[in-house]
Amino acid sequence: MREFMHYVTNAFYGATGWNEDNTYKEVNATARELIDFPLPRGLRLTLSSLATPHFATSYQLGSVDIVDGSISYLYSSVPLTNVASQSDRIPLPALLKSYRRLHELGSRGKPWLLDTDAPAEPVLQAVAKKAAITSRLAAANAKQQDLDKNRSSLLYGRLYLPQSLLEGLVVKRFSSALQVQLSAVSAQSLRNGGTLLGLVQYDKGKYGVEGLASTDGGLLGVRGLYNFGGDASSSPTDPTSENNAERERIYGRFSAGGELYYGTLNKSGGMSLGARFATLPTHRGTPLTTTLTINPLMGNINATYAVLARDYCSLATRMEFNVYSYESEWAVGMELWSNRRPAGFLLGANPAAEPEPLAEKPKVRERSFQAKMEWRLDEPEPTKEPAVTADKAETAVKKEEYLGVLKARLDQNLRVGLLWEGRVKSLIFSLGTGVDLHKLGEPFRSLGLDIQYSS
Amino acid sequence: MAFNFNWSPLTADANFYERARDLLTTALNKSPKPPIIVDDIFVTELNLGSVPPELEILEIGDLAEDRFRGIFKMCYSGDAFLTLKTRVQANPLNTYLCSKPSFTSPQPLAAASGLTIPLQITLSEIKLSAFIILVFSRQKGLTIVFRDDPLESLKVSSTFDSIQFVRDYLQKTIEVKLRDLMMDELPAIIHRLSLQLWCPDQVPKEEDEVKEDDEHAVNPLATPPLDAVDANGHLLDPAEIPSLSLDGGPEMQSLFSQKNLLRLDALTNSHRTSSLFTPGIRDAMFRAWASPSDRFAGTSTPALSTPSLHRSSSYNGSVHTYTFSDTASQDHGYLPSRPSLVSLTSATTGLSLGSGRHSRAGRKKKNRVVNLRRKTGGETASEAGESPSETSSVQGPASEPIMATVPEEELATQAASPPNKVRFQAAMEMSQQPPRSPANPDIMLPSDAPISSLEMRTAPAPSQPAYSSPILEKAEPQWKRPGPRSDTSSSSVILEQAWIMKMAGEIARRVYDEKNRNPGFWEEREDSPPPAYEAS
Repeated sequence: MREFMHYVTNAFYGATGWNEDNTYKEVNATARELIDFPLPRGLRLTLSSLATPHFATSYQLGSVDIVDGSISYLYSSVPLTNVASQSDRIPLPALLKSYRRLHELGSRGKPWLLDTDAPAEPVLQAVAKKAAITSRLAAANAKQQDLDKNRSSLLYGRLYLPQSLLEGLVVKRFSSALQVQLSAVSAQSLRNGGTLLGLVQYDKGKYGVEGLASTDGGLLGVRGLYNFGGDASSSPTDPTSENNAERERIYGRFSAGGELYYGTLNKSGGMSLGARFATLPTHRGTPLTTTLTINPLMGNINATYAVLARDYCSLATRMEFNVYSYESEWAVGMELWSNRRPAGFLLGANPAAEPEPLAEKPKVRERSFQAKMEWRLDEPEPTKEPAVTADKAETAVKKEEYLGVLKARLDQNLRVGLLWEGRVKSLIFSLGTGVDLHKLGEPFRSLGLDIQYSS
Repeated sequence: MAFNFNWSPLTADANFYERARDLLTTALNKSPKPPIIVDDIFVTELNLGSVPPELEILEIGDLAEDRFRGIFKMCYSGDAFLTLKTRVQANPLNTYLCSKPSFTSPQPLAAASGLTIPLQITLSEIKLSAFIILVFSRQKGLTIVFRDDPLESLKVSSTFDSIQFVRDYLQKTIEVKLRDLMMDELPAIIHRLSLQLWCPDQVPKEEDEVKEDDEHAVNPLATPPLDAVDANGHLLDPAEIPSLSLDGGPEMQSLFSQKNLLRLDALTNSHRTSSLFTPGIRDAMFRAWASPSDRFAGTSTPALSTPSLHRSSSYNGSVHTYTFSDTASQDHGYLPSRPSLVSLTSATTGLSLGSGRHSRAGRKKKNRVVNLRRKTGGETASEAGESPSETSSVQGPASEPIMATVPEEELATQAASPPNKVRFQAAMEMSQQPPRSPANPDIMLPSDAPISSLEMRTAPAPSQPAYSSPILEKAEPQWKRPGPRSDTSSSSVILEQAWIMKMAGEIARRVYDEKNRNPGFWEEREDSPPPAYEAS
């Protein structure tokens, strides 16, 4: 579950038209969120409120070993009027959904869509296809409107109470493509009393570059991402129909990037290269994202594959291999949405929930393979489209009824993480446990419940 | 006197290495490890080598069959080696992120991916040079404390020897770690190891010792009276008697009435001698009319039951001088000598209290206890120093120990070698007595002084006057040198007293000065001693 402040920050990015996914850091975000979702520990209550369109507060109380908590405030210079902040109205996918669809490149100025899945709606698909072309023209017009948004800023502060740890974040937009983030932590336990991280982000749509500097160890870093193929390669000026049709064959976007770090004080560095292929929202087949990252210094190769198998089910696998130490790792993750009531979901689905990540995986792979085949097959016959849209229109109506999601992961140490999130009345809860299958005597390694209420 | 240090049997024992490896492994993994070490540290090889360390005896503080205390100078440059195995994280960015708050983390995508490398470190060519305080007691095991940093140099060879930077880093880090280990962990390891070696079943062993050592530690409750009564005269259940222990001093005292014990002892004596006096004991039924052997048993067991009584008779033989208040106070001084009762005295001063009073008590009776330490001088000096008014008011008894000890020191310094190991002498005796001021180097004894003072003391042992008078005569001219001479005995007594007062004042002043000048030196005494210090 994303925290409320994270949700509001995302809303800020949406309102100012910043594409936060267009950085190298987020290349494998989908697989990471499907596999490495955080498990709650202990009991934690969060009370949040977007008191005014500019100001949000959040109070958190937790009891892991001792009772601790945090107070956080957020100020946004841009009014977040379209943001649903009440916990009974927040669209659950915005808080809970892991699979990330690609955002339109250069779609600045568009009103932020509350539902992250909105561009993927098959109903909208036909519209979106045209919108993808037209929005570039619209973006040029909208540029004048959001000049004020280009000067927007966000301030965020959080104080953890017993530890007296203070977090602060300043986000400042300087132009439509340039944004600066400053984050700082102040705590007694840290060396020099705290750290400061500065991040300069430059997003040109086709490419995004970031530079960062940290006071901790004098770390300097550069990372960049370059998009090509699919919609990225088509210039908005001359979308000739022939070229377009040629390009439409590839319903995906390739991205490649790299990162480079150097610690000036400890004289150490690090780097990695990465590439991603993800299907565009306009793709009619099964949406999928696959990434490959390589760390040439450490000999680490990391490949992920994530797929939105059904509208209610997404799966991800990750494999890591180190060519120097021959160590390997694998992990699979699953997300299963339900539109039943949480209790019914629990009773109905839970007995079958545990073997599911293993049992259903090969089926889905097969399916994804089929989808690939389908992708080649359905290209010459677009007549299928209306049928599909009509079929999925029903699910779109039902989609709002999603009341809960079950997430599960399994890694090579046979550690299982189970997370069940959903909404009861106006409370959003997240119940998670870690299970170690190696120690069947006492399998539960951790147990936690997060409850979030916002108004 | 000869010492036989046996190096090879220790190293030949295969089990010893196994145990030592296990103990080292646990010691190394006890403290939280830095994030660069991603696995436990295992000690794979340990070899003490064939070259023994060179030991030079600087001082022997205490020597008996079952205990030993001494200071050594150790030099070691042998062929011992130690091999450690662990796994380290080779990615510096990974370890960098481990200790940082996630909020300001740069969140690298794959640059922080880990690469764990097995690491093998061999420590060899270890050169040590240190002053060691070694305390051994059969009950408490062996304790070794390093006076200062023992590590001179060592060679660290590892998997990464080819990389200069890593090698230097490892060398530096391991030296620091090893210094910590030597100073803090090694004494504990050796102590634990020695406990396993000498007294694997510590508790039964102690009981054996107690039974052998019957002079000091007769448990009166081991052979309880047949019809034991408590303080109020109620009959005690025999089953309850073992539950009574010597710890509860007052309780025991109330169990066996002091007055009655006195009378019982007088009764026993009257039976031994031809005295016709028979003390009347209230509320007691004499079984004297049964048989002489019975009577003896009946009277002797309660006599055994008060350690103070028993002990004083052992010192004085047949002459019984009952100073009960005195022996009762000594009773507590003696208790630490019993291993099971160490808890009675505080950890810091347990040794000094016990042995100090011991020697003083012995002196007051008869000087039969041969003491290698020269602690009475310091103690009486400190007594006089701490309470000069007291000495002036109680002239008689206070003057006697000073007379007896100060000349000893002077004689000893004349006879002995130059005081070269002064510092360690003082350090060693920190727990025993307050250090003398360095401004008075004559009083500061060299390390082998106790031996000469031992000769001095054992020779005139038979009688107290004979013992102290020659020294007095010999030393007196020196003392009187500053003051005006007088031939009359009365004036000499007055002079003596005046001198003692002056001397006491002087010592007190110096001690005070020293304390002011060097407060840290005194605070060092507050360090709790290693366990074996409590033993003797």
